[in-house]
Formats: sequence, C-alpha cells, structure tokens
Amino acid sequence: MGFFKRRTILIVLVLFFIAIQLFSLDLRERNSQNPLSKFVLDITYYPQMAVSAVTDGVIGTWRDYIHLVNVNEENKRLREELNALRKEKFESAEIKAQNARLKKLLDFKDVSLYPVVSANVIGASPSIIRSQVVIVDKGSADGVTEGMPVASYDGIVGRILLAGDKSSEVLLITDPVSAVDAYIHRTRARGIVKGVGSGCVMEYIENKSDVSVGDKVISSGKDGFFPKGVIIGTVIDISPDGSFISAGVSPHVDLNSLEEVVIIQKSVNNVVLNE
Amino acid sequence: MNKTVTFISLLLVSVLIITVQSTLLSPRNAGYLLPDLNLIFIVFLAVYSETKGSFLLAAGNGYMMDVLSGNLPGTFTISRLSAYMLVRTSSNHVYLRKALVLGLVIFLSTIFTWTFILTIIRIKSDAGFQFSFGDIILQGLVNSVVGVPLFWAAGRIHARFQK
Repeated sequence: MGFFKRRTILIVLVLFFIAIQLFSLDLRERNSQNPLSKFVLDITYYPQMAVSAVTDGVIGTWRDYIHLVNVNEENKRLREELNALRKEKFESAEIKAQNARLKKLLDFKDVSLYPVVSANVIGASPSIIRSQVVIVDKGSADGVTEGMPVASYDGIVGRILLAGDKSSEVLLITDPVSAVDAYIHRTRARGIVKGVGSGCVMEYIENKSDVSVGDKVISSGKDGFFPKGVIIGTVIDISPDGSFISAGVSPHVDLNSLEEVVIIQKSVNNVVLNE
Repeated sequence: MNKTVTFISLLLVSVLIITVQSTLLSPRNAGYLLPDLNLIFIVFLAVYSETKGSFLLAAGNGYMMDVLSGNLPGTFTISRLSAYMLVRTSSNHVYLRKALVLGLVIFLSTIFTWTFILTIIRIKSDAGFQFSFGDIILQGLVNSVVGVPLFWAAGRIHARFQK
C-alpha cells in the first residue's frame, strides 16, 4: 500500500464515514437556511443568465442563418429574400408561441387563489444522480421561499428546494424524493404521486378503488404544499402493489422543455420534504 | 505569477465550469453521456496546481455541485475532496504527463467518486436513484476521452501563467 500514503487512506476513510452521516440527515435539515448555499446560488446566477442569453442567441442565429450559409451565388438574391422571410416567420412563430404561453400563464394568474410570480428556467442540475432539478431566475428578492409550489399552465411542475436572492432551485415532481398527495379526478381515489426520474408513479391507492388508464390525476391539497385541484398527469398503466394499487403517471407538463413557470406564493406552514 | 492571482483565476475557472455544467452540459438538457468537467478540473488541480488553496478549490467545487444539484451537503464535497487527495498522493509516484496515464487517472477518479457516492446512497437511502455501475464506466470513458486533450490545453496555459 506504498502507492498511497497511509495517512491519505485514513483521511479518505474518515471522510467516507462523515459523508454517510451527512447523507443520513433528513432533507428538512438540508441547507435551506445555510447562507453558503444561497451564496453559491447567487454567484452562479449571473453566469447562468449570461450563458442562457448567449445560448438563446446562438440557437436563434443558427436557425436563422448558419444553415443557409452554403448557398450558391445564382440564387443569392432569392435566398436572401427567403432567409429574411424565414427569419420573420420564425420570429413571428416564436412570438406567437410565447404570447400563447404567456397568455396561459396570465390566465393561470387570474384563476390562482394565491399570488404568483412568473419565472424563466435558466439552468439545471449539473449532477447525474439528481438530474430532476432546475434553476429559475426568481429568488427571495421576489418573495420566493423554500417549499413554494411551482406550476406551469399545464399543471404541477415541482416545488422550491432552495431560494437564493435572485434565483431558486426547483425540485421537479419526477425526482425520486418528490411526493405529492393526489386524487384520481374521476373517482376521487387517493394516493401519493412519487417521482421515478423518467416520470411518476401514484402509490398507495386502495385496492378496491376504481382507476383506469387515461384517468387524470390532480393534487389533493392535503400535503400542505400544492393547492387543491391542479392537474399532475394522466394514468398510463396500473399494477397491483401488495394490498394497494400502483399507477404509472405521465406528467401533464413536458418537464424536458420547461421554459417559463409560475411560482405560487402559498405560505408553507408545515414544510415536510418527503424522502 | 502571483499565487493570489493564480488562486483567483482558478476560482473563476471553477465558477465557469460549474456554470457550463449546469447549463450547456447539464444531464437534464443533454443526456447522460456527458463529460463531468467539474471532476476533470479537480483531477487537474491535483496533478498540476502547486497552489496551496487548490485543496479548498476542490472542496468548493464539490460544494457547488452539492448545492446546484439539490443534494445533501457533503456527497460531492467529500467524494471529490477524497479523489483530489488520492490523485495528489499518487501523482508523486506516477508520471502523469503521459496521455495514456492521465486518461487512466481520470477514468479511475471517475470510478472512485461515483462508487463513493453510490455506496453511500445504497447504504443510506432507498430513494430510487437510477444509476448503475455500467453508467459509471461509460462516464469514466467519456471523461477520459474529453479530459486528456483538455489537460493538454489547460496544462500549457497553466504553465505559461506559472512562469
């Protein structure tokens, strides 16, 4: 064992046991009030915003120009005209789509019982083991606090895991530690929607309950986090799970292409993060 | 070059890397088979950096990973710090300037850090993290392929600054 110093091996072993102890801490005791964690969120806010803006710009430029670079001289004038038209069309389509999204968000604001804050997704988890986390550009300066539910016009997205001054982390409903108390909309059968990475699964549905593929799943509001009656997803498969029924749920929101979300400023009195 | 300036430069590079890793190279946006620039940077610190603060930079880098990925504090901080220490110690015994050896060190560092994390997860949690040993091997290969040329480029820049 002369390759590594004995002292190094010993320190690594001690670190390993410290890591085990730290990992044992419940998410409730996580770094939500740790100023160092908030500081990390704050110092990465501006670089993330810059990369986000540059990426949008580069993608826009790529779409508008780069694929039209290798044009032949003969059709130059026509292509320039086509290019301009395509650009205009693309921009108008983008604006149209954005208008539709924002309109839906405004509609959501109108119907929500709680005040909401609109936010843009500017980053995501850098880690493979917990990839179901995104970073949004609103933080405690905008009234955002840990535990607040996050939604889009399509339904529930997740909840605030850590609020920095200008940005926040959102734990998506597809994360393995996420859990939402829910109902089957048609029959009011109750269960818990948990994340499984690629989607969700609704567990602890009573055996006698009436559940079918295609049923809509909505939040019950009983977990203290999410408002009642917000859509979560659709049942895609059903399987027995001991004395309960387990149902695969496809989230209603396309979480892979999240751009804008709303943070529902619902005070969370009983913050219990499920693990 | 002034040691303080070197430290600040490496700190800025560290923030830049974590930014790229959480935006352009986030597993959410671009899939799983992506280089872990953060880990490659830590191996770089262990191999090249003479700066005393590189130990702190390695820990800080792991901590930023912990915070931005919503993990419990310590998972990345400690695993990456351990990897840093092991590579640092081994660099006294192995000639790490050769591309093949460097690739192997990056590969083994990846295997070590992820095995470290996976072991803790398996011992302490049934939270259903879907990550297998096969994924770790693949991640190690990707890191090696990307890391060696990055090391070559970064080593030259670093050497120039050190003069």
